[in-house]
Amino acid sequence: MSASLVGSVVFLKIAEFARRTASEQARLRAQLEAVIAVVTAEIDPEGRLVLEAADGAAIVLIDDPRAALRLAQRALTAGAAGLPLTAGINHGALQLSGRKGAEGLTGDGIAVAANIAEFASSSRLLASRAFRDALADAAPGREAALVPAGNFTDAGLRAHEVFSPNNGGLERRRRRYSAASVAVIVAFIGAGFAWRATHESRAPLLSTIIAKYPYVGALVQRVRY
Amino acid sequence: MAKKTSKIGRYRIVDELGRGAMGIVYKAEDPNLDRLVALKTIILPEDAEEHGEYRKRFFLEAKAAGKLNHPHIVTTFDCGELDGMAYLAMELLEGIDLRTRMTKQGVTALEAVEIARQVADGLGYAHERGVVHRDVKPGNIMLNGGGKAKIMDFGLARMRMADHKTSTGMVLGTPRYMSPEQISGQPVDQRSDIFSLGIVLYEMLTGTRLYSGENIEQVQHSITQTEHVPPTRVVPGLPAMIDFVVARALKKDPAVRYQDAYELAADLETCLAELRGQGAATEPSGDKSRTVKMEAGKAIDAPPARAIAIDTRLPVSRLIDSTTAVKRIKNASSDELTRLPRRVGLLRRVVRDAAVRRFFVVACFAGFAGFYIALV
Repeated sequence: MSASLVGSVVFLKIAEFARRTASEQARLRAQLEAVIAVVTAEIDPEGRLVLEAADGAAIVLIDDPRAALRLAQRALTAGAAGLPLTAGINHGALQLSGRKGAEGLTGDGIAVAANIAEFASSSRLLASRAFRDALADAAPGREAALVPAGNFTDAGLRAHEVFSPNNGGLERRRRRYSAASVAVIVAFIGAGFAWRATHESRAPLLSTIIAKYPYVGALVQRVRY
Repeated sequence: MAKKTSKIGRYRIVDELGRGAMGIVYKAEDPNLDRLVALKTIILPEDAEEHGEYRKRFFLEAKAAGKLNHPHIVTTFDCGELDGMAYLAMELLEGIDLRTRMTKQGVTALEAVEIARQVADGLGYAHERGVVHRDVKPGNIMLNGGGKAKIMDFGLARMRMADHKTSTGMVLGTPRYMSPEQISGQPVDQRSDIFSLGIVLYEMLTGTRLYSGENIEQVQHSITQTEHVPPTRVVPGLPAMIDFVVARALKKDPAVRYQDAYELAADLETCLAELRGQGAATEPSGDKSRTVKMEAGKAIDAPPARAIAIDTRLPVSRLIDSTTAVKRIKNASSDELTRLPRRVGLLRRVVRDAAVRRFFVVACFAGFAGFYIALV
């Protein structure tokens, strides 16, 4: 029996795994499993699957791309102590297949995540354009946390646009919108004044306000002295 | 070869041990040293030019193999040529070859790792002396009663150039046990033997054929393009380190494979220690060292191999439980979990994105203020 799904795949790859001795591979694998156990503990078991890969592991998050990003960042932090990890995140199609007790997942979701993890340098996290779009869909605005990190072509000559997390990205976006807000305020109010100035027949705005609210006039007098 | 041979060179034929594509193997007696030997005959090509080339290569390889003196390598005593036939006098072993053992009796995990370790040790010794086997397969590994493995036919693969030729170059070896570089006709070194030994180890451990197909092309495609299923997935209970050892020996790229057979032997030694530990811990049931046996005459295919790239099938982890999610995926309706991300429109952005919402509110107020200033 097979079932399809679309989910976020966090591919955690142990750097230079193939070149290490088998005993070191076994040690690093055990360390990675411990890290995964810790970082997946806070996620609802209904929403995550852990897969084994030859040189690492893949974690599929079914519901929330934000959780995938958080998980990958936590895994890299947790693994910093002696576990050389790289991480690739992708959002894509997956297929569950296999008999009961021996299920596995295939699909572009995994393949791209694995390729991106391969491309990432040690202790670095890279995400695909598809994941950034999924993040934007789940939480509009959060995608600003992923900034462009370049393009690369994998072994299958497929081009990938990759993004890396940058917390400053969100802050920059917030500042940009604040600046835009100030600009809009100045523009609209300035336009109002300009409109008024170009229509000479109308009394000056301040005179109109003072006439309407006498205490504003008194306030203006006090300020002058 | 129809008439019965009674003597080859100085060797007196005692019995016929077997026949192969290259010639016949006899049990023979060396009258000079009064000892029994295995005499392997190789029919030389009739064409004069080919004959010369073949003969030259045969003696070169036989000389190289003759220098190998190791407990896990069948010793070559002598070589010669007689009436268009070359022969090799080798150490006569009492026992059976690994292929027969695998089909008839099966091999326990402990035996499998021990055999592979011994073969790796022998290969390491030969490689150090610049001799590459090129045809490591169960049929070329002899087992004696005491559990000792010996590698036979060193360098003889070179003698079988006519067996498997491709348009791109010469391919030597047995297709199912060839390395990717051997298949592509590239120069091979000791790492090719390591790949072949990796296949033998896998088959001993799992009792399945790792690379199989209906024809040579399918087998070759499988060797160059597909990834194996880890042995612990096929035979649960094997130590996890076996997976790493097999995976490293079976790397398609020789640069990331074991570079040295001694290194492989050392890792297999660690696996052995682990297996012995497991065996001691589970002595009564003896589950961990169950015997796996290949069915005689019938190829048992390994579980579907994983293709590299997009078809990569990653198994669900055995250590971190994912059954709840698997159940959920299986029970979900067709479109419940297959929703693709939508483009975020302006309205959704204003409603759900705080920064945009703030900007929108400010813009509205500023617009209203500007309007008021202009018109009131």
